[in-house]
Amino acid sequence: MKSDKTGVLTGSHILSGNEACAEGALAAGCRFLGLYPIMPSLEVSQRFLQRAPEVGATFIQMEDEVSALAAVLGASWTGKKSMTVTSGPGFSLMMEHLGLGVMLETPCVIVEVQMVGPGLGLPTHPAQADVMQSRWGSHGDYEIIAYAPSSAQEMFDFTIKAFNLSERYRVPVALMSDAHIAQLKESVVIPSADQIHIEPRRYFDGPRDSYLPFKRDKDFVPRMVDIGQGYRFHVTGLTHDDRGYPIMFEECQEYNVHPLVKKIRDYVDEIVDIQETKTDDAEVVIISYGSSSRAALKAVEQARAKGMKIGSLKLNTVWPFPDARVSELAEQVKAFVVPEMNFGQIVQEVERNTYGKANVLFLHHGDNGVEYTDDILAAAEKASLMTETKCGIIEWKKGST
Amino acid sequence: MNSIIEAINKGIEQSGLDRNKISIPSDIPFEPETVKSLGVDYFQVPRGRAIAFGSGLKLGNPELKIIPVVGDLMTLGGNHFVHGTRRNMELLVLCINSFVYHKVAGKSVPVVTEAFSPYSTFEEPFNFPHLGNSCGAVYTARWTALHTAELAKSIAEALHKRGMSMIEILAPGPSYYRYVTDLDSELLQFYFENSTVKNDEDPRNAAITADGKIIVGKFTDKERATFIDSYNIQHTKILGDAFTPHGSLPEKTGGGNG
Repeated sequence: MKSDKTGVLTGSHILSGNEACAEGALAAGCRFLGLYPIMPSLEVSQRFLQRAPEVGATFIQMEDEVSALAAVLGASWTGKKSMTVTSGPGFSLMMEHLGLGVMLETPCVIVEVQMVGPGLGLPTHPAQADVMQSRWGSHGDYEIIAYAPSSAQEMFDFTIKAFNLSERYRVPVALMSDAHIAQLKESVVIPSADQIHIEPRRYFDGPRDSYLPFKRDKDFVPRMVDIGQGYRFHVTGLTHDDRGYPIMFEECQEYNVHPLVKKIRDYVDEIVDIQETKTDDAEVVIISYGSSSRAALKAVEQARAKGMKIGSLKLNTVWPFPDARVSELAEQVKAFVVPEMNFGQIVQEVERNTYGKANVLFLHHGDNGVEYTDDILAAAEKASLMTETKCGIIEWKKGST
Repeated sequence: MNSIIEAINKGIEQSGLDRNKISIPSDIPFEPETVKSLGVDYFQVPRGRAIAFGSGLKLGNPELKIIPVVGDLMTLGGNHFVHGTRRNMELLVLCINSFVYHKVAGKSVPVVTEAFSPYSTFEEPFNFPHLGNSCGAVYTARWTALHTAELAKSIAEALHKRGMSMIEILAPGPSYYRYVTDLDSELLQFYFENSTVKNDEDPRNAAITADGKIIVGKFTDKERATFIDSYNIQHTKILGDAFTPHGSLPEKTGGGNG
């Protein structure tokens, strides 16, 4: 295993999802990992640590997840692309600094390998129960970007995309993996370095004394500088003005925080990444993400073989949610089927965008998500036969007809 | 607080270091214009997280000198201090403790002000220099807001130490206590009457007690391999020439822009 100094391990490899994630990070130019080890995310850090010395990357195992993300934010301000890796309870501990990262507009990537919760839950068992937490977990108003990979290849690809978007929008980006994808060994094709698009950091290039750390460009994103360059800037997690000085007035809250939301909301079309399969003529569309979408895509294949008009909408980004496309599809389809490894999270977003125009069937499945193709197929079949449209979420239970 | 900023300013000046290479992550809000006078990069982070944030700054750019400022007996983030010190991360931690001394039942005890607690307090304060020294800090000292010249000298010395240094500063917090009349001057008078300078005192004996004098001074000064030293030594031992010691990194990182 040898890559050049750019860190890109070009070639075809058999990698687990976690290993592919570490390779994606290195290829994206990530040169700092702050972590506190937790299963089932461990192999990301193991792989990164193993490869770090040869590409000049640094890592530290901090005392907890709170400090791990704090160190990542600090390292990001020195100009290093930085990330942290965690799972369930560790993600909860990171919420404080997720909010700080949003407020300080600090690019970084948080890889979260979801496990069963709440509390201590079932460590190492896969779940998709933290997707709402990634959106709403920290206090205050903000918008976030989150990817949901469904294969080892996507772990590689989406990690790079996550770094690119975090630099483009100056926001922490979450990679919401799960224990299935983390451990799954698959073929991963890594292109050569010149084939990989890397979003450069948006640096300020004016004179030193005119630098305002939070003066926004037209797209609401401010320019950054590294520390230690003589800019002598002031940055605070309090509500602040362009200078980064705390201003304790409601007007400043609007001035400061509204753009944090707008810089994502106004660019949803650029950020949202969805993959549609056979939705053109579909009567039922399965909306899924992460490892559930493996079963969903298989169900679509089987349904089409039977002549049923079933399509799939796979969310590569869960946040921001593709509101516009889902409500457009709601006009066309009889029903949406939403399989999730939780008790109903993204299905609420789907239902919100349906406006009562289509049925929404929720299919909860446990930690054996990929084996539940039959259930998804049965739910889709049932949905296609429904004659009336009901408001609200219809919970579909295994074996129900 | 302003006298402490002034002492930090003087300390940096005496150290002769380039201010462009100094950064202060702080969990205490500084007056922005005062920070400007310090001429450093400044971050205000959540309560107790300055040491963790500062560790990232230091590792990201080992050329920098990082001065995390923490407050309020380090209740939040005490563990960051313990482990930052254990691994000897090269930081100068200024712990500004703003507990207010009050006279209760004829004794002077460290208490929170009546404005916060109608029944005063009954808890023992932390002996920070002792904690820092036990965890392996290379430099420990304690001063009050009165001892600005000594504090500045300590800061200048500690900025040249390799490893985790810590200085506890006893000071009133004016923005919290401004509604308590004359507390600042009362407190400074208290410091004047009740503190005694004992340099090189064993920090074990430096606990702040109800009836003893507050012992201030420079307590310990030693050498120990820093985190980055150990990181480089360990990786060089295992990887040999394949390892580039941290601090001299290759310039190009990441893929192309294809």
